[in-house]
Amino acid sequence: MRLETEDIGVRYGRHEALGGVNLRARAGEVTAIVGPNGSGKSTLLGAITGTLPHAGRVILNGRDVAGQKPWELAAQRAVLPQATRLAFPFEVLEVVRLGQQAGTAGGRANVPMQALARVGMAHYAERIFQDLSGGEAQRVMLARVLAQVWSPVEAGVPRWLLLDEPVASLDIAHQLQVMEIARDFARAGGGVVTVMHDLNLTALFADRVLVLSGGRPLAFGTPQEVLTDDTLSRAYGCTLKVSRPPERADMPYVLPHHGQLTGA
Amino acid sequence: MAALTEISSRPRDRHARARALHWALAGVLALCCAVSLQIGAAEVTLTALLGKWLAGEPLTMMERVVLFDIRLPRLAMGVMVGGALAVSGAAMQGLFRNPLADPGIVGVGAGAGLGAILAIVLGTLLPVWVTDIAGNHLVPLAAFFGGWGSTLLLYRVSTRGGRTSVATMLLAGIALGALAGALSGILVYMADDQQLRDLTFWGLGSLAGASWAKVLAAAPLVVLSVGAALVLGRGLNGLALGEATAAHIGIDVQRTKLVAILAVAGATGAAVAVSGGIGFIGIVVPHLLRLASGPDHRMLLPNAALLGASLLILADVIARVIIAPAELPIGIVTAVLGAPVFLWILLRRRGLVDL
Ligand SMILES: Nc1ncnc2c1ncn2[C@@H]1O[C@H](COP(=O)(O)OP(=O)(O)O)[C@@H](O)[C@H]1O
Ligand SMILES: [Mg+2]
Repeated sequence: MRLETEDIGVRYGRHEALGGVNLRARAGEVTAIVGPNGSGKSTLLGAITGTLPHAGRVILNGRDVAGQKPWELAAQRAVLPQATRLAFPFEVLEVVRLGQQAGTAGGRANVPMQALARVGMAHYAERIFQDLSGGEAQRVMLARVLAQVWSPVEAGVPRWLLLDEPVASLDIAHQLQVMEIARDFARAGGGVVTVMHDLNLTALFADRVLVLSGGRPLAFGTPQEVLTDDTLSRAYGCTLKVSRPPERADMPYVLPHHGQLTGA
Repeated sequence: MAALTEISSRPRDRHARARALHWALAGVLALCCAVSLQIGAAEVTLTALLGKWLAGEPLTMMERVVLFDIRLPRLAMGVMVGGALAVSGAAMQGLFRNPLADPGIVGVGAGAGLGAILAIVLGTLLPVWVTDIAGNHLVPLAAFFGGWGSTLLLYRVSTRGGRTSVATMLLAGIALGALAGALSGILVYMADDQQLRDLTFWGLGSLAGASWAKVLAAAPLVVLSVGAALVLGRGLNGLALGEATAAHIGIDVQRTKLVAILAVAGATGAAVAVSGGIGFIGIVVPHLLRLASGPDHRMLLPNAALLGASLLILADVIARVIIAPAELPIGIVTAVLGAPVFLWILLRRRGLVDL
């Protein structure tokens, strides 16, 4: 089962923010979207989730998402936006329960608490959401998203996590924790599509990488294929050097090379 | 650390508290109703009448009139108006994602008032068959359309891409209220003597004109819009996360917004049509309930109906007895009690406006 886009394009007024994107994300894998600021990563996710009007089609588990009802889609995929502002002082556990409302209610009363425990926020269940720090709030929102699609496969059909920079405001330990949650979800048969900023985390956790640049797809493939000096330097417009530690040749890591240091 | 673990192992559930509060508020409302029937200008008390009834004695003509034609319709109107005002406040706050959005504050009440005045002053120009069909419902319906138009306009102006700007909402509300007030003023100049008497009576913000006819005129609109608001709980909870995320968790956002706007307009329109401008119920009641049992709209909306009705009945009792045998317009009582509470809300949470 897959999440596929066919020739996705998005315009903001006259500005074409995204064009010609054909993404093929497979269930069971973590698919990362990378690219410089403003390259259209959030815009692509917005088109996939139906938040933004767009050209082209989005096919989720074999069905065009256009024309599906919000609650049908909510049962198949959960979305973590880059930032969420919450009105009214809901408690943390109540926020997570909001995520669970989509068709998964019956007999799963303990899922929100489990989801909170999964992101290490169980002790905060009764705190007011607005009182949390940025990173804590982000993890609670991830718990909300997890609670919505708690089992990665439901009746033989994979469910999807669509995440926009899920580790943006997290410390290194929680970055790893969140990426492990995403990878475990995929290993259990679900699908994950995530916008990433950190190329090294991407190399560590992604099975496929789509590189966007200026709203256009630049490369799509495994981290091995895509994370190369040439592609990354072209995408980000600066000299980047990809190294491979001898003991883990399958794991590229990316070093920025300042012009003076490399003599370029 | 041990204490933390202990707390989280048995989460104190605000939802359970809200449920308990629901039954408590139902009891409070029953009590307020009894008090309202007990007290009044005439020397007739509910307890005395109950005693007579139990003893099998017939009621005097005067007692019947006071109970059935004066106090009961007034009580029914108080319950309807109080419930409608509180529910429309809570629903509007959910729709605009802000606890300061109250129909009375942001000009929707004034818009509904303009509709009502239009119907009173220009209603005579309508073809007879229209007034025949509409009958007593003409003024509430016109108030509903006035409230609807102003809610739509306000939402268009203050909301972009699923985000509400509080400052824009409040300022647009001031402009809207001023415009509706000015247009209402023009209409008042055009009114003849009889219409002027109707208008003055209506504009006082009072339940004094209560009658079964008025109750029946407003009841359908109140029942429909409060009923619609009560099913909005899940949708408004979702909207608290923003429109995009609400859609992602499975809420039909467009439908939720449509129903919310209709419910706000209907409840505000009905309340304004029968009782003029009664302020602060719509903002104080939901705020107190959020403090007591959290912002979950699934309990907030029904609890607001109960507490709003209770408070309005109590305010009406105060309005009737405080300068007896004369009586104060109830709008004065709710303003004297509600305005300080509103200021207290602002003092405690300045952040509400500095968004
Ligand atoms: N609502 C909007 N209106 C106009 N332009 C926008 C809007 N949102 C994003 N853009 C523009 O579209 C481009 C892609 O934005 P985005 O997808 O958010 O980038 P990122 O890859 O950093 O997530 C940027 O140039 C941005 O300025
Ligand atoms: Mg982005």
